[in-house]
Amino acid sequence: MSKPKIPKEKQLPEGLIVDCPKTEQEQMTTGGWRILRSVIDQDECTHCRVCWINCPDAAISVDESGDMKINLKYCKGCGICAATCTVGAISRVPELDFDEVVVYRDLPY
Amino acid sequence: MKGEKKFLAGLAAVAEAAKLADVDVISSFPIRPYTGLMVDLSLKVANGELDAEFVHAEGEHGQLAIVHGASASGARTMTGSSGVGVTYAFETYSPISGGRCPVQMVIADRTLDPPGDFGSEHSDVLCARDQGWIMGWAETPQEALDNTLIYYRLGEDKRVALPQFNCQDGYFVSHIPGDVVVPEQSQVNEFLPPYKLDKPLDPLRPYGHGPQIYSDQGPVLELQRAIVMDKAKEIIPGIMDDFKRIFGRKYDPFIEDYNPNNAEVCLFINGAHAHTARYAIANLKSQGVNLALCKLRFVRPWATDEIAEALSRYKVVGVIETNNSFGVAREAGVFTPEVAATLYDLPENKRPMLISFMAGLGGEAIRLKDFYFMAKKLINTAQRKKLEKPVYWIGFEEDEEDLTF
Repeated sequence: MSKPKIPKEKQLPEGLIVDCPKTEQEQMTTGGWRILRSVIDQDECTHCRVCWINCPDAAISVDESGDMKINLKYCKGCGICAATCTVGAISRVPELDFDEVVVYRDLPY
Repeated sequence: MKGEKKFLAGLAAVAEAAKLADVDVISSFPIRPYTGLMVDLSLKVANGELDAEFVHAEGEHGQLAIVHGASASGARTMTGSSGVGVTYAFETYSPISGGRCPVQMVIADRTLDPPGDFGSEHSDVLCARDQGWIMGWAETPQEALDNTLIYYRLGEDKRVALPQFNCQDGYFVSHIPGDVVVPEQSQVNEFLPPYKLDKPLDPLRPYGHGPQIYSDQGPVLELQRAIVMDKAKEIIPGIMDDFKRIFGRKYDPFIEDYNPNNAEVCLFINGAHAHTARYAIANLKSQGVNLALCKLRFVRPWATDEIAEALSRYKVVGVIETNNSFGVAREAGVFTPEVAATLYDLPENKRPMLISFMAGLGGEAIRLKDFYFMAKKLINTAQRKKLEKPVYWIGFEEDEEDLTF
């Protein structure tokens, strides 16, 4: 049975397979969920990247100096990085212990 | 007919087809009765017959997640399950279909828990019929082998790109061997081109799958998938013609219309019990009773027009339900509402009466006696031109022993 046509201006890529995003969407931060923040001791870290590959939110990346960096706008504080770190270089610290806080959205989601 | 004659059970036949199709990634987790497929495939991989990555998943949900990623990276994948394994992986079905990854999942169906019943019932995968996958049952091991090749060809076609449920009745088809002609590699190479993906996942060229959208973009994606499911229906007849040309076996595209004796009443059936039904039809003919059979080949896409046209030739249609949908409209199973919707637009003088038979539940064989009982009910209804009742539960009806027509 025939289906209506999708107008050109509304068309989306098949399967919504899109190019990797280059920017972050400021209104969609999920870091506000966190109550324990993972802190990496850069002296202990051996750059094995086990934390990077296990992060379920892809919130860990390698910065320009080669160190592992956690993106606090999207880290939900699950603790998998701390649990899987091969040398125990990651500790989980209560979020309220820090001065700077991830900005909450004005509207609840 | 080219090819090697073998005596194989349904799952062994699918393993042969997987070898011919040169599957790249297989993810496994055991659950009866489909486990035999993974045992067979692991043997083929171990002795070098099949060059594939054989992954042990930690559960059915993991199985599907593994083949989802592999398929999105450009691998031809195979996985499978039965019963509650199928429902455990449920969350993954929509993303795989929406992500247009042509994964093939081989289902040897099994009654859903509780309690533990290894017997065959179609409910386990019928639960997933709304998820946007191609779905169909094989009646014999030969059909199971052929369906494996046909579903890869259909699902991987660029115009479709949909995953497929390659189903067969647990035990009846999966474990009972039958004559199978295993095709030659050259035939399969002609029929099934390699799997080519436009945008495979690649660390050097990353793509995003399933990003967040605003709700006004939702309808577009849904309509896209409806359009490709329709496209699948369009190209199936061409694929069956190609199959006949290359392999010499003819399959009806959507339904098998089996009416050798010009009957006025018809049984609508899905799956292995059609095999017994054909014997019942031959036996009844010798008693002067004419019965026809309409066997479903594709549950999804459902061929509404073709099925309506086929069933309009009968006075009464009996839908055999080897599945359950408690509380459904007309209180039978899953196929009755679908058949009723199919018949709804027919003009009144061409719309058959509809009866449902709950049969084969729990993995019980549908006996010849049961088919004679069903035929009797269909014929009586046709004569009286009135329904006695819409649903019969085979094995519980009081007048089952009286088989005088």
